[in-house]
Amino acid sequence: MPYYETVFIARQDLTEAQVKDLTEQFSKIITDNGGKIHKTENWGLRMLAYRINKSRKGHYVLIEVDAPSDAVIELERVMRLNEDVIRSLTIRQNQLSDEPSIMVEKASDKDDNKKFKYSKEKKEEAA
Amino acid sequence: MGVTDAPTVRRPFFRRKKTCPFSGSNAPKIDWKNTRLLSRYISERGKMIPSRITAVSQKKQRELAKAIKNARYMALMPYVSNEIDTGRGSRR
Repeated sequence: MPYYETVFIARQDLTEAQVKDLTEQFSKIITDNGGKIHKTENWGLRMLAYRINKSRKGHYVLIEVDAPSDAVIELERVMRLNEDVIRSLTIRQNQLSDEPSIMVEKASDKDDNKKFKYSKEKKEEAA
Repeated sequence: MGVTDAPTVRRPFFRRKKTCPFSGSNAPKIDWKNTRLLSRYISERGKMIPSRITAVSQKKQRELAKAIKNARYMALMPYVSNEIDTGRGSRR
């Protein structure tokens, strides 16, 4: 099944727990429609390069899935309806990388003050 | 540029063939999340630098442009950065 990488930005006044169960909710949509979650990463609260409807910060979450296209269409539909998600981008990938994305390495090797939570769900955990 | 041998005919512009930084064997992969790599190819104002200056091959320049546009859409990079930027931008 094709690989997709979805990154969405959640509103800044959400708590970490709310962002967590937002991610769970989206992951459940994928698994319900026959997809598999390959990796989930929470880049934490980050400064946006410019203001998006009056907010200057946002929770970034990356989800890499191996799913049929209608699962991803459903995911995008739900994300568009959800008010907490202010922006999302889904890109088809030709292969999924196991190691953490650039955002994660950059944050971990230089310890800047930004709160950072990294949750790597292994494939077998998700299966 | 170091002492180059005196060319017999006067060259209008230095002739060193700049190679594309992305076409080598261990070239970095262009990824829209990798803002540090992308920020090397935008000016201080946040505009993309043309490939005739950065010597990026045409194919990689298209990939780079798409990645920069994605990064701008996801607010990882500014569409336009004003004067008081931290001056971290690339010096052309």
